[in-house]
Amino acid sequence: MTPLLAAIERERRAKLFFFVGALILLLGVLSLVQNMLVSFILAFVMYYLIAPAVDFLERRGLRRLWATVIPFLLILILATSLGVLFFPLFLSQLQTLVKAAPQYIESAAALMGRIESQISRYSAVVAGDDFHLGLQQRLTDWVSTNAEHLPTVISGSLTVILLAPFFAFFMLLDGRDFMRRLLGLVPNSLFELILNLNHQISSQMGGFIRARMIESLVVGFIVWVGLVMMGFPYALLLAVIAALLNVIPYVGPVVGAAPAFLIALVNGATNTELLILLTIYGTAQAIDAMILVPFLVAKIVDLHPVTVVLAILMGAQLGGVVGMIICIPVFSALKVTTIAIYRHLTHFRN
Amino acid sequence: MNFQWDNLFRSSAREQKLISKLRENMLFKDLSTRELRLVENIVNIRTYRPGEVVFRQGDAGVGMYIISKGMVNIYTEAVDAATTEVSTSQVTSLREGDFFGDLALVDPGNRRSASAVAGEETTLIGFFKPDLIEIADRNPTAGVKILLRLGEVLGVRLRETTLKISELKKDLPA
Repeated sequence: MTPLLAAIERERRAKLFFFVGALILLLGVLSLVQNMLVSFILAFVMYYLIAPAVDFLERRGLRRLWATVIPFLLILILATSLGVLFFPLFLSQLQTLVKAAPQYIESAAALMGRIESQISRYSAVVAGDDFHLGLQQRLTDWVSTNAEHLPTVISGSLTVILLAPFFAFFMLLDGRDFMRRLLGLVPNSLFELILNLNHQISSQMGGFIRARMIESLVVGFIVWVGLVMMGFPYALLLAVIAALLNVIPYVGPVVGAAPAFLIALVNGATNTELLILLTIYGTAQAIDAMILVPFLVAKIVDLHPVTVVLAILMGAQLGGVVGMIICIPVFSALKVTTIAIYRHLTHFRN
Repeated sequence: MNFQWDNLFRSSAREQKLISKLRENMLFKDLSTRELRLVENIVNIRTYRPGEVVFRQGDAGVGMYIISKGMVNIYTEAVDAATTEVSTSQVTSLREGDFFGDLALVDPGNRRSASAVAGEETTLIGFFKPDLIEIADRNPTAGVKILLRLGEVLGVRLRETTLKISELKKDLPA
């Protein structure tokens, strides 16, 4: 190797080192500073939701700054109005549920005990006689621990609610410029690959997040309308839970519907009421699967159901509920990256 | 010398230079100053040492390069089927203002048909498919203008290739 080529190689390695270093530093800051990672994830969600509106206004001739400010102001007005309208109701339902939790847990454990004794009549006891008592203890502990942490969770949520729009605003305004500067650190030999990879991941993530958000909103809205019409308690709270958990494929809709069925069973609901409840959640999922998924999710990265379940389990292990929600986009990004790197290694080079 | 003023002046001159370089290029000829500013903020400036490879023959390409400063040599490699020896021959040398790799902007499975190597300290303006998509998203008029010019460039290249093939066919024995 000539001294000149050796110098080029040294420069390439230095650039790669700084690029990877900058990425690691960024990830380190995000994961070490409290509330930063969640704020950033939420900011990314907001970014992908608002970006089409910003691009649309820019296409209409507005400068990037105004094209960013206007949708932000509109969303702020809309969010404030919705917050004023629904947040007190949501909070009161949450408080009522927390207060009534011991009663629900007791009834749920009793119900479980009855089911256990029914099962033991037909077969050998699988989980032991005191399974329902253990479950009652675990649920009571879980609720009391979470109730204790509620002020911390609320203050953390407020930080996230304030930080996320702040980050999202600057991502929309200067994000592309920042990315260009970051890409400037990439060595020449890898530049085209990384640029293309960034574009692919970004467009797939955009489609994925927008589709999932619309799905969640529609599912949440149908569940809310249905429960209100049925006169079911905690309608808003249960609709929010259904909408949030709908983000998790396959498992989410089932877990999202479980609290409503548990409340109905504990309250001694009739078979007709249970059937109506099943119809509400079933309709929401049917509309999602038959109308929204074919039209919206067609472009989304296709992950095999087994991969999805594995990703959810890993996400839950690593990051709890947040991990479960973000694991699918993260896995999709990893899939796109792996395929692109594989193609680069096998097809890119002659 | 006041360094602050010195830097400000240099930065502004550099921006002006980039805009004028873009304006001189066939693809961006029809763009207004505002549209050129958008392109200026999107394109990628890359610097290469003498002998540094821009891309290799057979690489998947995602865009084109405009030579802002310096020189780029274009080589093709051919493998002898019998001996498996690789022979390299220089096709041409491109100078400031020239551009290459434009087919990659529209061809999804594009493979570079030749290798490009910097002949001296070289600055290239990289314009890639994601950049073209971003321009079309943010300013469709500018996107259409660029695409029309790109069509023209590819048309000229096709015409030249057809002409060459016709000439070669003439030389073939009947």
